[in-house]
Amino acid sequence: MHDVFMKKAKSCRCPLALLASVFLIALAMPASARDIRLATTTSTENSGLLRVLLPKYEARCGCKVHVISAGTGKALEFGKNGDVDVVLVHARAAEDKFMTEGHGVNRRDVMYNDFILVGPKSDPAGIRNAKSVIEAFRMLSRGGSRFVSRGDNSGTDQMEKNYWREAGVSPKGGWFVSAGLGMGEVLTMAGEMRGYTLTDRATYSAYRAKTGLDILFAGDPKMFNPYGIIAISPKKYPMLNHTGAMDLIAWITSAEGRQAIAGFTLHGEQLFFPTPGAA
Amino acid sequence: MSALLGLRRLRKLIGGRAMLDLGPLALEAGQGYVLTGDNGSGKTTLLRILAGLEGAEIDGLEFKGRGVSGYPDWLRRQIVCVHQDPYLFHTSIAANIAYGLKARGKGGAEREALVREAVEWAGVDRLAATPPGKLSGGERQRVALARAKVLGARVILLDEPTANLDSEARAQTIALIEKMCRDNVAVVVACHDRELIELPHVQRLHLERGRLDAVP
Amino acid sequence: MNPVQVTTDAFALLFGGDAELWGIVFVSLKVAILGLLIAAPPGIALGYLLAMKRFRGRRVLVVLLQSLLAFPTVVVGLVLYMLLSRHGPLGALQLLFTQDAMIIGQAILAFPILSAFTLSAVQGADPRAHETAVSLGAGPWRAALTVLNEARFAVMAAVINGFGRAISEVGCALMIGGNIAGVTRNITTAIALETSKGEFAQGIALGLVLVVLALGINFSMALLQGEGGMK
Repeated sequence: MHDVFMKKAKSCRCPLALLASVFLIALAMPASARDIRLATTTSTENSGLLRVLLPKYEARCGCKVHVISAGTGKALEFGKNGDVDVVLVHARAAEDKFMTEGHGVNRRDVMYNDFILVGPKSDPAGIRNAKSVIEAFRMLSRGGSRFVSRGDNSGTDQMEKNYWREAGVSPKGGWFVSAGLGMGEVLTMAGEMRGYTLTDRATYSAYRAKTGLDILFAGDPKMFNPYGIIAISPKKYPMLNHTGAMDLIAWITSAEGRQAIAGFTLHGEQLFFPTPGAA
Repeated sequence: MSALLGLRRLRKLIGGRAMLDLGPLALEAGQGYVLTGDNGSGKTTLLRILAGLEGAEIDGLEFKGRGVSGYPDWLRRQIVCVHQDPYLFHTSIAANIAYGLKARGKGGAEREALVREAVEWAGVDRLAATPPGKLSGGERQRVALARAKVLGARVILLDEPTANLDSEARAQTIALIEKMCRDNVAVVVACHDRELIELPHVQRLHLERGRLDAVP
Repeated sequence: MNPVQVTTDAFALLFGGDAELWGIVFVSLKVAILGLLIAAPPGIALGYLLAMKRFRGRRVLVVLLQSLLAFPTVVVGLVLYMLLSRHGPLGALQLLFTQDAMIIGQAILAFPILSAFTLSAVQGADPRAHETAVSLGAGPWRAALTVLNEARFAVMAAVINGFGRAISEVGCALMIGGNIAGVTRNITTAIALETSKGEFAQGIALGLVLVVLALGINFSMALLQGEGGMK
């Protein structure tokens, strides 16, 4: 075996070596320094907000923003690992932890919308009549109907876990379906099972497939859903595009950015509300 | 006249037993040899050893009077063996014949000329466009002979070239073998074929129980 | 949801010449083809060696190779992510979320297919082929190429299969490409995205494109092989 390889190595042809070196050179070239990598959640991406928002910024900075969308948990993980320059998520507790652990700098509030509870029009669990979101969750825990949970450590998932905790419920049993999927898939699943789920308003409004789900409960202040943007710590990862990240953060929280966010509507409905700025 | 290929002793051991133990053997240029012997006597093995495709203990190996140690590549290039059921590459007749020439680095124009010559020699020019897979047994045998001959080897070994051929194909093959002998090449044909054995000017060698005897 | 409606919508998008759609198709093709080009020489070489040579540990290697055929793409993606992340050992190469990373992923996925199928192909070839080549004076490289040429239909099948796996997988591409619009979004990751948005028509459209691509490639391979007289 060894002899064969030695023989082959000796008679290695030039074209192969050339191809290999070209490939290695291409690999060694770093990504464009001016581009910004943003990790965000599926609700901002899938709703179409970023598609409308970012080109405005790209025109200003003459750069490109590469968007990687995943659940909040995953997005923050990318941030921790230094794989992106900036993160835009909606899970306050997780964001605060991210900051105290020193992974990020310059956290700013960007916008908010709300979470809503959706379910079958007939509302067998009767949550339309609940006085608060916690009461609604208690009603759901009686187990008469299915509840589909994200189960993926996303912003929505973390909010849901908070509600169960406050309601004093540890959800288990056949009625509780932990899907481990994105919001869109969970909406479809809930529709198919004629069950309930917690979703953010933007994703629900933007979701194109018919689910047969109606908004059954909303408006509780506890359902407030704020989004925050954080630049990844340049001390931890000096190779990142920190200038770009800070510039994007500055823009998105500026009057221009806020206007763009407020101007984004779907079916005439505004889905995201910019955090009021200093001026 | 020194032999083209000569050896003092050849031994092939299989599992401790000497399958072949023969010598001295001398192959002269321009001479045809017919190697006979029962099935299983080791004819094919002997041919493969002489072609350098199998190893054996050989003492006193000589080529054109010069001593040779081992079985170097240049010697192998002088000896070509054609199988009983020759394998033709699934390319074309011309590509098959050109194969060995290409392997030896023969240039384009010279190669083409040699191939054309060999195609005519074997009488397969009418079949030039036929894919090798569609040739008859006799036609394949002739292409294989041409493929071997074109390399200019000095020793050509043929293993049962006429087995499984109809009488016309056999006649054509035998004619080619006679032509080869006239080209100052040593040809060794292992076979049972009566017609080949009884050819004039052919030296018969009989292999039995591992020993080789010249039959007058 | 009416399947007929979805399909007609899909075709409308396809033939409407949607620039974004065709950009996605281009990424799929580019990444899969380059990945295959990288994996093919070593893959085919390994398959050939495993078929022709006997050495200690050969059987173990063959079994390992065949197990890799069933290796889930998400796991390959995850392992690559851990290697390529800036946080990880190869982080300095800054490959994560680039087309280059996807190409590497596709190459890794195609490699076991190329090897295992070439191994099969060479084993299935007439054993006399190699010996005939050698007896006519071919060195090991030429003899190898000759044997591979003799088994060319089966070797082509290996390449097509490898390409098929590369272009149709989603787990690895999603994980290390990041599904970035205009950069690392290919057909399969786009389908995943469109599905998560409930845009089933778009998803089907992309799926159809993939099928058409696969048909086109197989068709042209069949043409190249001509009559395909031998195995």
